[in-house]
Amino acid sequence: MASLVDIQNVSHAFGKSRSDLILDKLSLSINENEFVGVVGPSGCGKSTLLRIIIGLTKPTDGAVYYRGERVEDICKGMSMVFQTFALFPWLTVFENIELGLQGKSFSKSEKRARVLKIIEFMGLSGFEEAYPRELARGMKQRVGLARGLIPDPELILMDEPFSSLDALTATHLREEVLDLWLDPSVAPEAVIMVTHNVEEAVYMADRIVIITSRPGKIAKELEVTLPRPRDPRSNELYKIVDEITGLIA
Amino acid sequence: MLALPRAHVGQMIGLLEVLEDFKGRVDVAKVADDLILELDDLLPAVDAAELLSFIKVDSGDLILTETGREFLSQDPKVRKKLLNKYVSNLESFKKIMNFIRNQENCEVSKEELLDSLKGEVADFDAESDFSWIIEWGRDSLLLKYDSDDDKIRA
Repeated sequence: MASLVDIQNVSHAFGKSRSDLILDKLSLSINENEFVGVVGPSGCGKSTLLRIIIGLTKPTDGAVYYRGERVEDICKGMSMVFQTFALFPWLTVFENIELGLQGKSFSKSEKRARVLKIIEFMGLSGFEEAYPRELARGMKQRVGLARGLIPDPELILMDEPFSSLDALTATHLREEVLDLWLDPSVAPEAVIMVTHNVEEAVYMADRIVIITSRPGKIAKELEVTLPRPRDPRSNELYKIVDEITGLIA
Repeated sequence: MLALPRAHVGQMIGLLEVLEDFKGRVDVAKVADDLILELDDLLPAVDAAELLSFIKVDSGDLILTETGREFLSQDPKVRKKLLNKYVSNLESFKKIMNFIRNQENCEVSKEELLDSLKGEVADFDAESDFSWIIEWGRDSLLLKYDSDDDKIRA
Protein backbone atom coordinates (compact mmCIF):
# COMPACT_ATOMS: atom_id res chain seq x y z
CA MET A 1 0.00 0.00 0.00
CA ALA A 2 1.33 3.42 -0.91
CA SER A 3 1.71 5.66 2.10
CA LEU A 4 0.35 9.17 2.39
CA VAL A 5 3.53 10.65 3.80
CA ASP A 6 7.07 9.30 3.79
CA ILE A 7 9.66 10.84 6.04
CA GLN A 8 13.04 9.66 4.83
CA ASN A 9 16.22 9.98 6.86
CA VAL A 10 15.32 13.39 8.21
CA SER A 11 17.97 15.04 10.35
CA HIS A 12 17.76 18.51 11.74
CA ALA A 13 20.28 20.63 13.59
CA PHE A 14 20.27 24.21 14.77
CA GLY A 15 24.01 24.73 14.53
CA LYS A 16 26.69 22.88 12.59
CA SER A 17 27.97 20.46 15.21
CA ARG A 18 26.48 17.12 16.08
CA SER A 19 25.66 18.28 19.61
CA ASP A 20 23.09 20.64 18.09
CA LEU A 21 21.33 17.75 16.39
CA ILE A 22 17.60 17.73 17.21
CA LEU A 23 16.45 14.95 14.90
CA ASP A 24 18.78 12.18 13.80
CA LYS A 25 18.06 10.22 10.59
CA LEU A 26 14.42 9.76 11.35
CA SER A 27 12.30 7.72 8.94
CA LEU A 28 8.59 7.19 9.26
CA SER A 29 5.64 6.44 6.97
CA ILE A 30 2.08 7.59 7.56
CA ASN A 31 -0.66 5.53 5.94
CA GLU A 32 -4.21 6.42 5.05
CA ASN A 33 -6.83 5.84 7.74
CA GLU A 34 -4.23 6.10 10.43
CA PHE A 35 -4.25 8.14 13.62
CA VAL A 36 -0.60 8.31 14.64
CA GLY A 37 0.48 9.49 18.08
CA VAL A 38 4.02 10.77 18.48
CA VAL A 39 5.23 10.75 22.07
CA GLY A 40 8.51 11.61 23.71
CA PRO A 41 10.03 13.79 26.39
CA SER A 42 9.99 17.54 25.93
CA GLY A 43 12.82 18.75 23.77
CA CYS A 44 12.95 15.58 21.68
CA GLY A 45 12.09 17.46 18.52
CA LYS A 46 8.44 16.36 18.19
CA SER A 47 7.22 19.82 17.23
CA THR A 48 10.15 20.35 14.86
CA LEU A 49 9.22 17.08 13.17
CA LEU A 50 5.66 18.34 12.53
CA ARG A 51 6.99 21.61 11.13
CA ILE A 52 9.28 19.68 8.80
CA ILE A 53 6.45 17.39 7.63
CA ILE A 54 4.17 20.27 6.66
CA GLY A 55 7.04 22.20 5.07
CA LEU A 56 7.28 25.10 7.53
CA THR A 57 10.87 24.12 8.39
CA LYS A 58 13.40 22.74 5.92
CA PRO A 59 15.28 19.76 7.34
CA THR A 60 19.09 19.93 7.48
CA ASP A 61 19.20 16.55 5.77
CA GLY A 62 16.74 14.06 4.33
CA ALA A 63 13.30 14.71 2.83
CA VAL A 64 9.56 14.39 3.28
CA TYR A 65 7.37 13.02 0.49
CA TYR A 66 3.65 13.63 0.28
CA ARG A 67 1.96 11.21 -2.12
CA GLY A 68 5.34 10.62 -3.70
CA GLU A 69 6.15 14.30 -4.20
CA ARG A 70 8.89 15.99 -2.25
CA VAL A 71 7.62 18.63 0.19
CA GLU A 72 9.54 21.83 -0.59
CA ASP A 73 7.08 24.46 0.59
CA ILE A 74 4.08 24.57 2.90
CA CYS A 75 2.11 21.50 1.83
CA LYS A 76 -1.43 22.30 0.65
CA GLY A 77 -2.79 18.89 1.58
CA MET A 78 -2.01 19.33 5.27
CA SER A 79 -3.25 21.49 8.14
CA MET A 80 -1.71 22.21 11.50
CA VAL A 81 -3.45 22.62 14.86
CA PHE A 82 -1.36 24.35 17.51
CA GLN A 83 -1.10 24.01 21.28
CA THR A 84 -1.67 27.72 21.77
CA PHE A 85 -4.41 27.94 19.10
CA ALA A 86 -2.64 30.60 16.96
CA LEU A 87 -5.79 32.66 16.41
CA PHE A 88 -5.79 36.26 15.27
CA PRO A 89 -7.11 38.33 18.20
CA TRP A 90 -8.54 41.06 15.97
CA LEU A 91 -10.59 38.63 13.88
CA THR A 92 -13.88 37.04 14.88
CA VAL A 93 -14.44 33.29 15.09
CA PHE A 94 -15.99 33.38 11.62
CA GLU A 95 -13.06 35.33 10.16
CA ASN A 96 -10.41 33.18 11.85
CA ILE A 97 -11.97 30.04 10.37
CA GLU A 98 -12.40 31.65 6.96
CA LEU A 99 -8.62 32.11 6.85
CA GLY A 100 -8.38 28.35 6.39
CA LEU A 101 -9.89 28.85 2.93
CA GLN A 102 -7.24 31.32 1.81
CA GLY A 103 -6.11 30.59 -1.69
CA LYS A 104 -9.17 28.47 -2.50
CA SER A 105 -11.15 29.61 -5.49
CA PHE A 106 -14.61 29.56 -3.95
CA SER A 107 -17.10 32.36 -4.44
CA LYS A 108 -17.83 34.55 -1.45
CA SER A 109 -21.18 32.89 -0.79
CA GLU A 110 -19.67 29.43 -1.17
CA LYS A 111 -16.97 30.35 1.37
CA ARG A 112 -19.59 31.65 3.76
CA ALA A 113 -21.65 28.47 3.46
CA ARG A 114 -18.57 26.32 4.12
CA VAL A 115 -17.54 28.35 7.17
CA LEU A 116 -21.05 28.18 8.63
CA LYS A 117 -21.19 24.45 8.05
CA ILE A 118 -17.94 23.78 9.91
CA ILE A 119 -18.98 26.22 12.67
CA GLU A 120 -22.10 24.18 13.23
CA PHE A 121 -20.20 20.92 13.05
CA MET A 122 -17.64 22.04 15.64
CA GLY A 123 -20.32 23.22 18.07
CA LEU A 124 -19.36 26.86 17.55
CA SER A 125 -22.80 28.10 16.52
CA GLY A 126 -23.67 31.20 18.52
CA PHE A 127 -20.02 32.29 18.64
CA GLU A 128 -19.66 33.45 15.02
CA GLU A 129 -19.16 37.10 16.01
CA ALA A 130 -17.08 36.44 19.12
CA TYR A 131 -13.43 37.42 19.34
CA PRO A 132 -10.85 34.96 20.70
CA ARG A 133 -10.56 36.93 23.97
CA GLU A 134 -14.25 36.20 24.63
CA LEU A 135 -13.76 32.45 24.32
CA ALA A 136 -12.85 29.77 26.83
CA ARG A 137 -9.68 27.87 25.88
CA GLY A 138 -11.63 24.84 24.76
CA MET A 139 -13.63 26.99 22.37
CA LYS A 140 -10.45 28.59 21.04
CA GLN A 141 -9.10 25.14 20.20
CA ARG A 142 -12.38 24.32 18.44
CA VAL A 143 -11.77 27.37 16.27
CA GLY A 144 -8.22 26.11 15.64
CA LEU A 145 -9.61 22.71 14.64
CA ALA A 146 -12.30 24.24 12.44
CA ARG A 147 -9.71 26.36 10.64
CA GLY A 148 -7.58 23.25 10.15
CA LEU A 149 -10.48 21.17 8.86
CA ILE A 150 -12.09 23.65 6.51
CA PRO A 151 -9.62 23.33 3.59
CA ASP A 152 -10.46 19.60 3.65
CA PRO A 153 -6.87 18.44 4.22
CA GLU A 154 -5.73 14.85 3.79
CA LEU A 155 -3.50 15.07 6.85
CA ILE A 156 -4.00 17.02 10.05
CA LEU A 157 -0.99 17.63 12.26
CA MET A 158 -1.83 18.38 15.87
CA ASP A 159 0.87 19.73 18.15
CA GLU A 160 -0.09 19.11 21.80
CA PRO A 161 -3.70 20.09 20.99
CA PHE A 162 -5.05 19.46 24.51
CA SER A 163 -2.05 20.48 26.62
CA SER A 164 -3.15 23.99 27.40
CA LEU A 165 -6.68 22.96 28.37
CA ASP A 166 -7.90 22.11 31.86
CA ALA A 167 -8.56 18.42 32.55
CA LEU A 168 -12.36 18.56 32.08
CA THR A 169 -12.23 20.55 28.85
CA ALA A 170 -9.49 18.29 27.51
CA THR A 171 -11.60 15.21 28.29
CA HIS A 172 -14.47 16.65 26.31
CA LEU A 173 -12.46 17.87 23.35
CA ARG A 174 -10.66 14.52 23.00
CA GLU A 175 -14.06 12.87 22.63
CA GLU A 176 -15.08 15.38 19.98
CA VAL A 177 -11.86 14.86 18.02
CA LEU A 178 -12.39 11.08 18.14
CA ASP A 179 -15.99 11.49 16.96
CA LEU A 180 -14.70 13.63 14.14
CA TRP A 181 -12.04 11.02 13.28
CA LEU A 182 -14.72 8.33 13.07
CA ASP A 183 -17.02 10.47 10.88
CA PRO A 184 -16.11 9.80 7.24
CA SER A 185 -17.87 12.96 6.05
CA VAL A 186 -15.24 15.22 7.66
CA ALA A 187 -12.30 13.08 8.78
CA PRO A 188 -8.97 13.63 7.03
CA GLU A 189 -7.13 10.62 5.59
CA ALA A 190 -4.72 10.65 8.51
CA VAL A 191 -3.84 12.45 11.73
CA ILE A 192 -0.48 12.90 13.40
CA MET A 193 -0.78 14.05 17.00
CA VAL A 194 2.25 15.04 19.01
CA THR A 195 1.79 14.80 22.76
CA HIS A 196 3.80 14.35 25.94
CA ASN A 197 0.72 12.68 27.48
CA VAL A 198 1.16 8.94 26.96
CA GLU A 199 -2.34 8.03 28.19
CA GLU A 200 -3.84 10.46 25.72
CA ALA A 201 -1.83 8.94 22.87
CA VAL A 202 -2.82 5.37 23.76
CA TYR A 203 -6.45 6.38 24.22
CA MET A 204 -6.64 8.03 20.79
CA ALA A 205 -4.09 6.61 18.35
CA ASP A 206 -3.87 3.53 16.11
CA ARG A 207 -0.09 3.58 16.17
CA ILE A 208 2.36 5.21 18.52
CA VAL A 209 5.80 6.42 17.59
CA ILE A 210 8.12 6.86 20.54
CA ILE A 211 10.91 9.36 20.09
CA THR A 212 13.88 9.60 22.41
CA SER A 213 15.60 12.82 23.29
CA ARG A 214 18.72 14.61 22.04
CA PRO A 215 18.96 13.76 19.29
CA GLY A 216 15.41 12.69 18.46
CA LYS A 217 15.37 9.13 17.17
CA ILE A 218 12.56 6.61 16.90
CA ALA A 219 12.91 4.27 19.86
CA LYS A 220 9.95 2.12 18.95
CA GLU A 221 6.70 1.97 16.98
CA LEU A 222 3.75 0.25 18.51
CA GLU A 223 0.29 -0.59 17.15
CA VAL A 224 -2.61 0.02 19.51
CA THR A 225 -5.21 -2.58 18.62
CA LEU A 226 -7.65 -1.93 21.49
CA PRO A 227 -11.16 -1.71 19.98
CA ARG A 228 -12.95 1.65 19.97
CA PRO A 229 -14.54 3.21 21.93
CA ARG A 230 -11.74 2.64 24.39
CA ASP A 231 -12.02 2.78 28.13
CA PRO A 232 -9.42 5.35 29.27
CA ARG A 233 -9.20 3.61 32.65
CA SER A 234 -8.93 -0.01 31.54
CA ASN A 235 -6.05 -2.26 32.63
CA GLU A 236 -5.31 -3.12 28.98
CA LEU A 237 -4.76 0.56 28.24
CA TYR A 238 -2.63 1.12 31.34
CA LYS A 239 -0.44 -1.82 30.37
CA ILE A 240 0.45 -0.15 27.08
CA VAL A 241 0.94 3.19 28.84
CA ASP A 242 3.37 1.56 31.27
CA GLU A 243 5.31 -0.07 28.48
CA ILE A 244 5.72 3.24 26.66
CA THR A 245 6.51 5.24 29.79
CA GLY A 246 9.27 2.74 30.54
CA LEU A 247 10.81 3.40 27.12
CA ILE A 248 10.74 7.18 27.52
CA ALA A 249 12.08 7.40 31.06
CA MET B 1 -26.55 35.46 43.83
CA LEU B 2 -27.86 34.85 40.34
CA ALA B 3 -28.27 31.10 39.78
CA LEU B 4 -26.06 30.74 36.70
CA PRO B 5 -23.81 27.96 35.47
CA ARG B 6 -20.35 29.26 36.36
CA ALA B 7 -18.17 26.74 34.52
CA HIS B 8 -17.43 26.55 30.81
CA VAL B 9 -19.86 24.47 28.77
CA GLY B 10 -17.01 22.18 27.68
CA GLN B 11 -15.99 21.62 31.30
CA MET B 12 -19.50 20.61 32.25
CA ILE B 13 -19.78 18.19 29.34
CA GLY B 14 -16.32 16.84 30.21
CA LEU B 15 -17.57 16.11 33.71
CA LEU B 16 -20.64 14.29 32.35
CA GLU B 17 -18.38 12.20 30.12
CA VAL B 18 -16.18 11.26 33.07
CA LEU B 19 -19.29 10.29 35.04
CA GLU B 20 -20.42 8.11 32.18
CA ASP B 21 -17.00 6.39 32.20
CA PHE B 22 -17.61 5.64 35.87
CA LYS B 23 -20.95 4.01 34.98
CA GLY B 24 -22.99 7.01 36.07
CA ARG B 25 -22.11 7.18 39.76
CA VAL B 26 -18.86 8.11 41.47
CA ASP B 27 -17.50 9.90 44.51
CA VAL B 28 -16.63 13.51 43.71
CA ALA B 29 -13.22 13.14 45.37
CA LYS B 30 -12.46 10.20 43.10
CA VAL B 31 -13.21 12.32 40.02
CA ALA B 32 -10.88 15.06 41.29
CA ASP B 33 -8.23 12.44 41.95
CA ASP B 34 -8.68 10.83 38.54
CA LEU B 35 -8.34 14.16 36.73
CA ILE B 36 -5.58 15.41 39.04
CA LEU B 37 -7.74 18.41 39.89
CA GLU B 38 -8.31 20.23 43.15
CA LEU B 39 -11.85 19.72 44.39
CA ASP B 40 -12.33 23.49 44.24
CA ASP B 41 -11.56 23.46 40.52
CA LEU B 42 -14.09 20.71 39.92
CA LEU B 43 -16.99 22.20 41.86
CA PRO B 44 -18.07 24.89 39.36
CA ALA B 45 -18.65 22.17 36.75
CA VAL B 46 -20.50 20.05 39.34
CA ASP B 47 -22.72 23.02 40.24
CA ALA B 48 -23.42 23.81 36.59
CA ALA B 49 -24.36 20.20 35.80
CA GLU B 50 -26.58 20.04 38.87
CA LEU B 51 -28.26 23.36 38.07
CA LEU B 52 -29.21 22.00 34.64
CA SER B 53 -30.42 18.69 36.19
CA PHE B 54 -27.79 16.63 34.33
CA ILE B 55 -26.51 15.24 37.61
CA LYS B 56 -27.67 14.74 41.19
CA VAL B 57 -25.39 15.03 44.17
CA ASP B 58 -25.98 12.56 46.98
CA SER B 59 -23.68 12.41 50.04
CA GLY B 60 -20.53 13.10 48.06
CA ASP B 61 -21.51 10.97 45.07
CA LEU B 62 -22.18 12.44 41.65
CA ILE B 63 -25.00 10.65 39.85
CA LEU B 64 -25.71 11.08 36.16
CA THR B 65 -29.47 11.62 35.69
CA GLU B 66 -31.61 10.32 32.82
CA THR B 67 -31.64 13.90 31.49
CA GLY B 68 -27.85 13.94 31.60
CA ARG B 69 -27.59 10.59 29.83
CA GLU B 70 -29.99 11.67 27.13
CA PHE B 71 -28.01 14.90 26.62
CA LEU B 72 -24.72 13.00 26.34
CA SER B 73 -26.10 10.53 23.83
CA GLN B 74 -26.79 13.29 21.30
CA ASP B 75 -24.51 14.89 18.72
CA PRO B 76 -23.31 18.48 19.26
CA LYS B 77 -26.13 19.94 17.17
CA VAL B 78 -28.89 18.28 19.18
CA ARG B 79 -27.05 19.04 22.42
CA LYS B 80 -27.30 22.73 21.59
CA LYS B 81 -31.06 22.36 21.13
CA LEU B 82 -31.34 20.61 24.48
CA LEU B 83 -29.15 23.23 26.15
CA ASN B 84 -31.42 25.87 24.69
CA LYS B 85 -34.36 24.23 26.40
CA TYR B 86 -32.69 23.72 29.79
CA VAL B 87 -30.90 27.07 29.97
CA SER B 88 -34.03 29.00 28.99
CA ASN B 89 -35.85 27.29 31.88
CA LEU B 90 -33.40 28.65 34.46
CA GLU B 91 -34.95 31.44 36.53
CA SER B 92 -31.93 33.65 35.84
CA PHE B 93 -32.24 33.27 32.08
CA LYS B 94 -36.02 33.71 32.17
CA LYS B 95 -35.43 37.07 33.81
CA ILE B 96 -32.71 38.02 31.34
CA MET B 97 -34.66 36.93 28.25
CA ASN B 98 -37.79 38.69 29.46
CA PHE B 99 -35.90 41.90 29.96
CA ILE B 100 -34.33 41.77 26.51
CA ARG B 101 -37.54 40.79 24.71
CA ASN B 102 -39.33 43.75 26.23
CA GLN B 103 -36.87 46.22 24.71
CA GLU B 104 -37.13 47.86 21.33
CA ASN B 105 -35.83 45.48 18.60
CA CYS B 106 -35.19 42.89 21.32
CA GLU B 107 -31.73 44.31 21.94
CA VAL B 108 -29.93 45.83 24.92
CA SER B 109 -26.46 47.09 25.72
CA LYS B 110 -24.24 45.40 28.28
CA GLU B 111 -24.82 48.30 30.68
CA GLU B 112 -28.59 48.14 30.34
CA LEU B 113 -28.61 44.42 31.05
CA LEU B 114 -26.28 44.74 34.03
CA ASP B 115 -28.35 47.63 35.45
CA SER B 116 -31.52 45.59 35.23
CA LEU B 117 -29.92 42.69 37.08
CA LYS B 118 -28.21 44.83 39.71
CA GLY B 119 -31.58 46.05 40.90
CA GLU B 120 -32.93 42.54 41.34
CA VAL B 121 -30.04 40.46 42.57
CA ALA B 122 -28.06 40.88 45.75
CA ASP B 123 -24.34 40.08 45.63
CA PHE B 124 -24.10 40.61 41.90
CA ASP B 125 -20.64 40.32 40.34
CA ALA B 126 -21.26 42.25 37.15
CA GLU B 127 -18.19 41.40 35.02
CA SER B 128 -17.99 37.75 35.90
CA ASP B 129 -21.74 37.14 35.71
CA PHE B 130 -21.93 38.97 32.41
CA SER B 131 -19.34 36.71 30.82
CA TRP B 132 -21.15 33.57 32.06
CA ILE B 133 -24.49 34.91 30.76
CA ILE B 134 -22.94 35.59 27.37
CA GLU B 135 -21.09 32.26 27.16
CA TRP B 136 -24.12 30.13 28.05
CA GLY B 137 -26.49 32.38 26.15
CA ARG B 138 -24.37 32.07 23.03
CA ASP B 139 -23.73 28.36 23.37
CA SER B 140 -27.42 27.57 23.82
CA LEU B 141 -28.33 29.94 20.97
CA LEU B 142 -30.54 32.05 23.25
CA LEU B 143 -28.48 35.20 22.88
CA LYS B 144 -26.33 36.92 20.32
CA TYR B 145 -23.70 39.35 21.47
CA ASP B 146 -21.62 41.62 19.29
CA SER B 147 -18.87 43.23 21.37
CA ASP B 148 -18.16 45.72 18.55
CA ASP B 149 -21.50 47.48 18.85
CA ASP B 150 -22.06 46.21 22.41
CA LYS B 151 -25.51 44.84 21.63
CA ILE B 152 -27.06 41.75 23.15
CA ARG B 153 -29.90 40.38 21.07
CA ALA B 154 -32.50 37.80 21.95
